[in-house]
Amino acid sequence: MSSSTSGRDDDAPDLVCQLDCVHGMVEALSSARWKRHQDAVMELSQHGVVITVEESGCLQAKVFLKRELFVEYEYAGQGRVRFGLSLGLLIDCLNIFSSPGHASAVEIRYPGPDMQLLLKSVGSPDACMYAEIRTRIPDTVSWDFQFEHAGNTPVTFTVKSAILKESIDDLEWPGSNIQIQMQPDPPSVILKGEGHGDLQIEYPYYANTDLLIAFQCDREVSYRYKYKFLRATTSNIPSSVIKENRGTKVQIGRGGMLKIQHLISVARPGMPYYRNIAGGDDQTSRIVYVEFFVKPEEDDNTVNDA
Amino acid sequence: MSLKLGLYKDPDSLSVTKPTAAKGEQAAAAVAMELSMSGSSLRTFGRCVTCLARTGSELVFQADPAKLELHTLNSSRSAYASVSLARDFFDHFNLPASTARAPSSTPLQCSVLLKSVLAVLRTPHGALDRLAVSLPDLDAPKLHFTLHCLNGAIKTYRIACNAEPEVQTLALDRGRFPSRLVIRPRELARLLSNFQSSLQELTVIATDPVAGLPDVGGEVGGKAVELRSYIDPTKDDCDTRLHTQLWIDPSEEFEEYVHNGDPVDVTLGLKELKAFLTFCEGCEVDILLFFEKAGEPVLLVPRFGLDDGSTSDFDATLILATMTVSQLVDSNGAQQPATSAQHAEEPRAAATPSLVPENVSNHTKIWSELSGTPKSFEANRAIHAQKERMNHTSMLPNDINAPCKPPVADSANNTLYQGVQRLQMDHLGEHPEVISTNARSQHHPSNWVGADDSDDDNDEDEELLVQTTPHYMD
Repeated sequence: MSSSTSGRDDDAPDLVCQLDCVHGMVEALSSARWKRHQDAVMELSQHGVVITVEESGCLQAKVFLKRELFVEYEYAGQGRVRFGLSLGLLIDCLNIFSSPGHASAVEIRYPGPDMQLLLKSVGSPDACMYAEIRTRIPDTVSWDFQFEHAGNTPVTFTVKSAILKESIDDLEWPGSNIQIQMQPDPPSVILKGEGHGDLQIEYPYYANTDLLIAFQCDREVSYRYKYKFLRATTSNIPSSVIKENRGTKVQIGRGGMLKIQHLISVARPGMPYYRNIAGGDDQTSRIVYVEFFVKPEEDDNTVNDA
Repeated sequence: MSLKLGLYKDPDSLSVTKPTAAKGEQAAAAVAMELSMSGSSLRTFGRCVTCLARTGSELVFQADPAKLELHTLNSSRSAYASVSLARDFFDHFNLPASTARAPSSTPLQCSVLLKSVLAVLRTPHGALDRLAVSLPDLDAPKLHFTLHCLNGAIKTYRIACNAEPEVQTLALDRGRFPSRLVIRPRELARLLSNFQSSLQELTVIATDPVAGLPDVGGEVGGKAVELRSYIDPTKDDCDTRLHTQLWIDPSEEFEEYVHNGDPVDVTLGLKELKAFLTFCEGCEVDILLFFEKAGEPVLLVPRFGLDDGSTSDFDATLILATMTVSQLVDSNGAQQPATSAQHAEEPRAAATPSLVPENVSNHTKIWSELSGTPKSFEANRAIHAQKERMNHTSMLPNDINAPCKPPVADSANNTLYQGVQRLQMDHLGEHPEVISTNARSQHHPSNWVGADDSDDDNDEDEELLVQTTPHYMD
């Protein structure tokens, strides 16, 4: 691998990596797919791959695939490499490579001769599948989704992903914006919709169950969000997340910016305890982090900090 | 506002408009109504709401210290469904305002959209600990439904009450019905599966099982009840729809069957009947159907236990209006009065030609009238002359007494839709007066199995015919 700055001498691709859990990857990427066709920005670095999707400057999703997830990960690029591609196309393509039931490994290379993303099936001695996906120069990120905590202590709660998803599905009925309110006394989270009918869903901290896995809130905060954006954050959670009872972390930051974080495990089918190259803990290294950022609706809210 | 059903109304139970309680009473009560339910009551409540939602669109709550009643009326005012939940049905049942009120005052009422209540009940029953319903005060704009989930979440739905509810209560005395039958929901579902799923109305023809009907060739003899599809003859696609007739032996299909005297028929809507069927199936109770005759409503209730008395903490009622026009042609050919019991009935109530069968005293004849005496075929065919592609042809069975087998609607059976059948010109001239009237036709001759195929001895054709209800007891 050359580290020459000229670039012309370096014919080696920026990234060559190999993935063995294609199906899990498809599930993780699908969680950020709320429309059939979405323009995504793929960013490669020595730390891993980040895929970012956005909508109307109000909603952003990031899927973090750290290098420990890959069987092999050789990065030779200069700093970070960014390019745009269609998320739908990437997912549909990866789907072709994945066959449920037995291990399917795929090698991903960037860039190809024409700056495309190259995929190749590996591991099968008899046949080889090969795919190219066109990439483009990415648009600059239109909105700054920099998330900051408001105040000294973060306002956050963690609830089972299944429960959050069910609540957001139920909140479709009122047909209105959804208000998310957190209050310290009594400690609880309240999701409210007031349209042609009213629905309020409350997660009391002192419920007899482990409804709220974590809760931190020192003052009352309350913001409204467009339903369709909230819906996008949970509508495509993979069923494995629901089955494994994973938790989703929700944070309300400065200005009411909402951050929703899911953990998706991408176990290799048939061999759940595969030792990866980093030799790290299997539990943490087989996790994909998916983060959603939702901007609040403009609202005169005297309750919150300015 | 009176119903368009020609129902017997119990004046004591009829109530209209919202009650206006005195303000003093309101102030005294912390809440006008609160109740809560869990477990199997919650499941039953869900089934009640589903059944009511398939009948009407508005749900009326009526509460008094002894019970809660839910009822709905369908848009064409031809079906009224009501559920009564006794105090014991609930874990908690509190009507504080009512204790301050005089017992004779109207019960607490409010009305909401059934669609909204269905949205509340979307959460699966297995995930719920309990459901609480409350009305903050008598004039509250919203009815509260609070679901306490097993996982700890609390969902509170506030549904707007209709401002001017049209509250109707109907009660029919069971004793006024001379006839009844009891059937298991699964058996009724099985019988109804013989009919096209899109069928909207069904005619039930009941005859006296001990009247000693002459055995007409062993095909239909001994089967005292007939179910027949009802297709609106004024609709354009009447002639192309599937018509089905089913003869059943009440002793095999019904748990109980009581009918004495002349044959009667009732034509009723299937949508609400199927909703009630599903309800009874879920509650694992039999269906008890009371009927009288065409034009009179039918009453359906679940049958708990062996006697008619309700031994349960909930009860349900479905009252269906029936068509005033009878599907039977009775012996003197008199027309049923065309009273408009149903909006939908008015077009059908137009003058119908009187068809005088030849043998007036034969009961068998009456209910196989449709399957074709030559005259009825001719009269109907003539009426639809302009609709037919073929001119002056008809399909007539050889044997007048043979009951008509239900047409088999499978494409392999070419005989059903044969172009030209045998000609029967000699009867054409006998009823010239009916040619011009746009009257009803119960069927299109080309739908029925042709004359050649109705010969019972012909074994080849046996497989083309749908057998009547098989004899399970054999």
